[in-house]
Amino acid sequence: MLRYITVRAAESLVALFGVSALVFVAARLSGDPAALMLPMGASAEQISALREELGLNKTIAEQFVIFVSNALQGDFGASFQYGRPAMSVVLEHLPATLQLAGAALLVGGILGAGIGILAAIYRGTLFETGLMTIALLGQAAPVFWVAVMLILVFAVNLGWLPTGGYGGIENLILPATALSVYVAASLARLARGSVLDVINAEYVRTAWAKGLSSRVVYVRHVVRGALIPIVTLFGIIAGELLGGSVVAETIFGWPGIGRVTIQAIEARDFAVVQASVMIIAAIFVGINFAIDLLYGVLDPRIRLTRKA
Amino acid sequence: MKMHTMKTMKATAGKAMFGLLVSTALTLTASAASARDLTVGLPGTVVTLDPHMSATVFTDLNIASHLYSALVTRGPDLELAPDAAEEWTATADTTWRFQLHPGVTFPNGEALDAEAVKWNIERVLADETSARIKPWFELVDEVNVIDKTTVDIVTSAPYPALPDQLSMFFLLPPEWSAENDTNRMALGTGPYDLVEFQEGNFITLSAKEDYWGTAPEFEEVTFRFIPEESTRISALLAGEVDFVTSIPTSEIERTNQNEGTSGDAVASTRTMFLRFNSKVEPFQGNAMLRRAMNYAVDKNLIIDSLWDGYGEVARCQPLSEDYFGYNPDLEAHPYDPEQARSLMVEAGYPDGFDLELDVPIGRYLQGSEIGQIVAAQLTEIGVNVQITETEWSRWLDKLYNDGMSQATYYGLAWPTLDAGGVMAFFEDGNTQNYQDDPEFTSILQEANSSVDADERLALYKTATERMCESAPILFLFQQPYTYGISDEIEWSARGDDWARAMDMSVAGSAD
Repeated sequence: MLRYITVRAAESLVALFGVSALVFVAARLSGDPAALMLPMGASAEQISALREELGLNKTIAEQFVIFVSNALQGDFGASFQYGRPAMSVVLEHLPATLQLAGAALLVGGILGAGIGILAAIYRGTLFETGLMTIALLGQAAPVFWVAVMLILVFAVNLGWLPTGGYGGIENLILPATALSVYVAASLARLARGSVLDVINAEYVRTAWAKGLSSRVVYVRHVVRGALIPIVTLFGIIAGELLGGSVVAETIFGWPGIGRVTIQAIEARDFAVVQASVMIIAAIFVGINFAIDLLYGVLDPRIRLTRKA
Repeated sequence: MKMHTMKTMKATAGKAMFGLLVSTALTLTASAASARDLTVGLPGTVVTLDPHMSATVFTDLNIASHLYSALVTRGPDLELAPDAAEEWTATADTTWRFQLHPGVTFPNGEALDAEAVKWNIERVLADETSARIKPWFELVDEVNVIDKTTVDIVTSAPYPALPDQLSMFFLLPPEWSAENDTNRMALGTGPYDLVEFQEGNFITLSAKEDYWGTAPEFEEVTFRFIPEESTRISALLAGEVDFVTSIPTSEIERTNQNEGTSGDAVASTRTMFLRFNSKVEPFQGNAMLRRAMNYAVDKNLIIDSLWDGYGEVARCQPLSEDYFGYNPDLEAHPYDPEQARSLMVEAGYPDGFDLELDVPIGRYLQGSEIGQIVAAQLTEIGVNVQITETEWSRWLDKLYNDGMSQATYYGLAWPTLDAGGVMAFFEDGNTQNYQDDPEFTSILQEANSSVDADERLALYKTATERMCESAPILFLFQQPYTYGISDEIEWSARGDDWARAMDMSVAGSAD
């Protein structure tokens, strides 16, 4: 187990390094921050003077060496826009993203898995048709549309909740709802499918034959057996949301890392782009790792057969 | 009889009573209203409160203008007015003298005196500051403190627009700034103090109790950052914010139909046009062809169909009438495809030509749509247009590095509202100069080097006439500056990106 964790950690570091190298080069090829920062009409000399002051006139390779050696000491550079360490800019916006993603994953996860599992259990009934129609509608409705509709209904027409902003629970409800629709709809169909896959499996028939109660059969045998694909998809969605949902964050004016990253990309604020990609990648790697560990818990065979 | 009298008296008393109540109620509302707070929804996010580290008017500098004083300010009438400086004069061709308002101090006791002004300008010019607004003051040679309230700014060449430019230059307290994070904290002599700044979320200000200038009407002002336009409108309709800017013209009607809000637009100071690359074929040295293009586009049609009639057709110059140097004698090219076609023949392109058109996206109001309409209209006269849409920063890179295609959709505004700023983009030697016109350049340079207003006006008249004639651009229109506002608030509408609480008041209040 320890060996497995060590190998995974080493792999993760390589992945993070690769991602940051890629982003480093791509960002610098995509445009000149100095020209963007200065007022329009700045002269060529003024632009090149600022480039010099920002250390952007060195070759990309030189800049990368400097970046890596500083990053190893925990210094990810200063933001051009915010005038302070880029990592602190990103980390300060992380709680907002964690709050929103957490709420959406919790509500959407329970709702999505619940709908899917119920639909499978009540397969062939009108109830199933109803559930799956709702899921289909949810999947067909893009987040931005759901978000705008929620604002129109609950903020403008009914006046129950604010249109956006960040702070209290009342600010969280609409964006979290918009995102949980997406989470739930994505999960529901997969959950239904994977439950259906096991529901007729021999071990389930055995369980019935043993005379177990339907609660035990469903919870211990059916659902547990169907969880692996559900957990996998949930992990992917979690990574997506924890990296900052740009659409929801923009529409609701939610100050999370998705918006900070987009803004940094637009402004060619390299250090912030770099820092936020690092954080997002680390979150992805972490979630993948957690899910791998979870597989072992859900299905002991995986732990035994894996040779890592 | 007696009864009757009583009744009348009662009625009269009742009426009087009612009147009293009403007037009390009115007074109450009025006094409650003037203690009212103001909330503004801004389209962008403020990234820094340091007024030297951003050149963006509609977000960063707009907020800074509440917290800090400038030497001069531009009022809602778009005229310069005193701020920290009471008066200013050009004492020589290259020297501007500013007389400061005496006794102004920062909340920590530092004086806003001539030394402080000198320190601020030197801070911007110092290399180690990497000030974003440094290019505005490149001509400044030295700052001389004459006495406590008199300061001379000496430039290496005449700089007639210096006072205009200084209206965007906000003054920090020297000692405090050396020790504090000027990006996230603020301590200024402006009408408001900083209460709270949450990045990406909001910033709250409160009026100074002992402000040395005219006290603003609103005690507390909150700017919320709402990047998405539909959310901005929703926030206005829901009554969460009192004022929003940059809404689509098509939504103005909706804010008008909603009870308690309205929307409108003013012509902004930004003129939109197609910039021709006159350093490549077919536009190089072919003014006739460039003029032909000018007849081919129906500007009014675009304004009516895309912008619901908001916006003004540019009168054959890249300036709106708000600019010093605007030429009222010029007229826009009428829409006349016949004329365009015959000019094309004369210009040597009877069968039309292929044209690559760059369009930056996400920057200008409905830029994509306008690019397509213009392209379709040019196709009518035989120009085969191919549009390349590019993200703003990429587009800017191309523009700065000689990489522009044969033409690009583009817009210019210059915050000093001085023709010199806009026209500089067409001078030889400018990073974005895509033409060769030495004579035009020399007229502009002459205008730039004079501090005599009449002489400059005459020179800009010549320059704009020449520009209209040689048509380095396809003149289009002034983009509208749109806004939505609560009926409880009044705003002296202005189209130059400043959305300041100081320009707003409670509707119906006496001022």
